Amino acid sequence: MTTTETIIEVRGLGKSFGSLVAVDDVSFTIRRGEILGIAGPNGAGKTTLFNLITRNPFGPDRGEVVFDGHRIDRLKPHRIMRLGLARTFQKETSFAKLTVEQNIRLGGVYGAGLRGAALQAAIEATLEMLELAPLRNELAGSLPVFQTKHLMIASAMVARPRLLLLDEPASGLNSIEQADLQRLILRLRDSGTSILLIEHILPLLFGVSERVMVMDFGKKLTEGPPSEIARDPQVIEAYLGGKAMENLHAT
Amino acid sequence: MGAVIVAGLVSGSIYALIASGLSLVWGALGVFNFAHGALLMVGAFVAWWVSDPAGLGLGLFAGILACMIFMVAAGAVLYVLLVRPWIGTPAVELTVIMTTVAGAMFLENLALLIFGARLKALDQVVTGTVKIAGTAMQAQNLLVIILAPVLLGALALFLKLSKHGLAIRAIAQNDEAARLLGIRVEVTYLVTFAVSALLAGVAGVMIGGLFNITPSMGNEPLLRAFLVVVFGGLGSLPGTIIAAYLIGLIEAASSYYIGIYWTPVALFTVLIVILLVRPNGLLGRSA
Repeated sequence: MTTTETIIEVRGLGKSFGSLVAVDDVSFTIRRGEILGIAGPNGAGKTTLFNLITRNPFGPDRGEVVFDGHRIDRLKPHRIMRLGLARTFQKETSFAKLTVEQNIRLGGVYGAGLRGAALQAAIEATLEMLELAPLRNELAGSLPVFQTKHLMIASAMVARPRLLLLDEPASGLNSIEQADLQRLILRLRDSGTSILLIEHILPLLFGVSERVMVMDFGKKLTEGPPSEIARDPQVIEAYLGGKAMENLHAT
Repeated sequence: MGAVIVAGLVSGSIYALIASGLSLVWGALGVFNFAHGALLMVGAFVAWWVSDPAGLGLGLFAGILACMIFMVAAGAVLYVLLVRPWIGTPAVELTVIMTTVAGAMFLENLALLIFGARLKALDQVVTGTVKIAGTAMQAQNLLVIILAPVLLGALALFLKLSKHGLAIRAIAQNDEAARLLGIRVEVTYLVTFAVSALLAGVAGVMIGGLFNITPSMGNEPLLRAFLVVVFGGLGSLPGTIIAAYLIGLIEAASSYYIGIYWTPVALFTVLIVILLVRPNGLLGRSA
C-alpha cells in the first residue's frame, strides 16, 4: 500500500531483451526525504531500472510503479516528468551550444511547464543552489566536467522534482569534487527532493544513502542501512569485490 | 555593376529563405526534405488562387495571409504523412529522400491538374522603380531585399527566445537529452516542419511576384538551396544565410560577365574549392 510517507513504490518490475532478463522482479520503496542508494557491478541492471521507471527510452514489460499516488508505468515520459520525477544520465546530456541559463530554462519550460515570473524565479533559485550563477552566460560546451555535472543536475532540479534519479553523478570527478558533490546531494535532499542514487564510488554512495540496495544480474540481492550492507559477507565477496570494500573501510 | 548587386541580393534573399528552412529540418531531424521546392510552389499557388480574380479575387494581402496559414498546416501534414512513420527506423535519411521526392511529384502533378500549365503571376506588392546610389531597380526587388533579412531576423529570434525555438535547437544538438528534459521530440519535429514550410511559402510568394508561377517553379530553387546548405555548412543557420547571399551574388556576377550557360560551372567550381579547404562548409561543425 502506498502511504503519504512513501514517494515511490516499485513492485515486481521486469524487462527482457530476447532471452536476457535485464531487470528481474525488482521491488522497493523510497520514503519522502530519503536517499536510497543502488550498488552493483556493471551490467547489474541499475541504469535499466532507471529507464524502466522513467520510461525513457523504454518502459517495463512487467510490474507496477506508483509514484506519489499515481500509477506511472504506462505513462509517457514527459507526463512522468510533469508529475515530479526527474533523472540524470551518466553520459553528458547538456546542450553544448546553448548557455547555462538556456539549458536550465529548457528544463523549467518543458520539465515543469513553468513560464513567466515563476520560470525566471525557478531558474534563479536553481542557478544559486547549484552554484552556477556566475557561469549563467557561458556556453555549456565550455564548462569543465564538474560544472557540467552541476548543470545536468540543475536542468533536472529546476522542475523542483519530488524524486530525482541520479545515475553515477561522481564519475570523472576527483576526490575533492566528490566531497563537494556529496554535500550537494544532501542539500538537494534537504530542499525537499527524495533521491535514488546509482554510484560506483562506494564511499560517496554509503556516505549519503540512508539505505542501500544491491543488484546483480538484474535481481535485487539485498537492502539495508549502509553499515549492514558494507559488512554483509555475501555482498562483499560475491558482488562488490573484496578490494572495493577494503577501500571503503579505509575511508 | 549596381544591377548585378541588386540581382545577386534578390536571389540571395530568396535562397536564404528557402535554404534556412531546409537547414532547420536537417539540423533537427537529420533528414533532407526533397518536397521543400514543391511546398514553395504550393505556397505561390495558394497565394495566387486566393488573390487573383481568376480565383477567389480577395486581393494580394489576403492571398499572402492565406498562404502563410496554409503553409503552416501543409508543413505539419507533410511531416505526419511522409516523415513521421519512418522516424527511428534504421535508414530514415534514405527513406525520407524517397517519400519526399514522391510527395514533390504528387504535389507538382496535382498543381498541374488543378491549375493547368498556363503561366501565372502574382500582383506586385509595390510597383514602379526606385533609384538608390545611382542604381535603378524595381520597387518589388527592393522589398524582397529588405524583407528577407527581417524574416531571417525573426527566425533567429524565434530560435533564440521562444519555447519551441529553444527546443528545436536543443533537439538538433542532443535529442536524447531533449527527451530527458521532457521535450516532446515528435511535437518539436512537427513545429520544425511547419516553420520550414512557412519560410518556403514566403519564398514562393516572392518568386511568384518577380517571375512566374508554374507547377515546376520549385525545382531550380530547391537545387540551389541544397547547394547553399552544403556550402554554408550542414545545420549551421548563419553559415546557410551567408552562403545564400554569396551564391546569389556569384551567380549574378557570373551570369552578367561570363554568361548564364557557364554560371553553374562557376558555382560548382567555387563550391568544390571551398569544400576542399573547409570540408564541413563555411561554418559547418565537424561530424
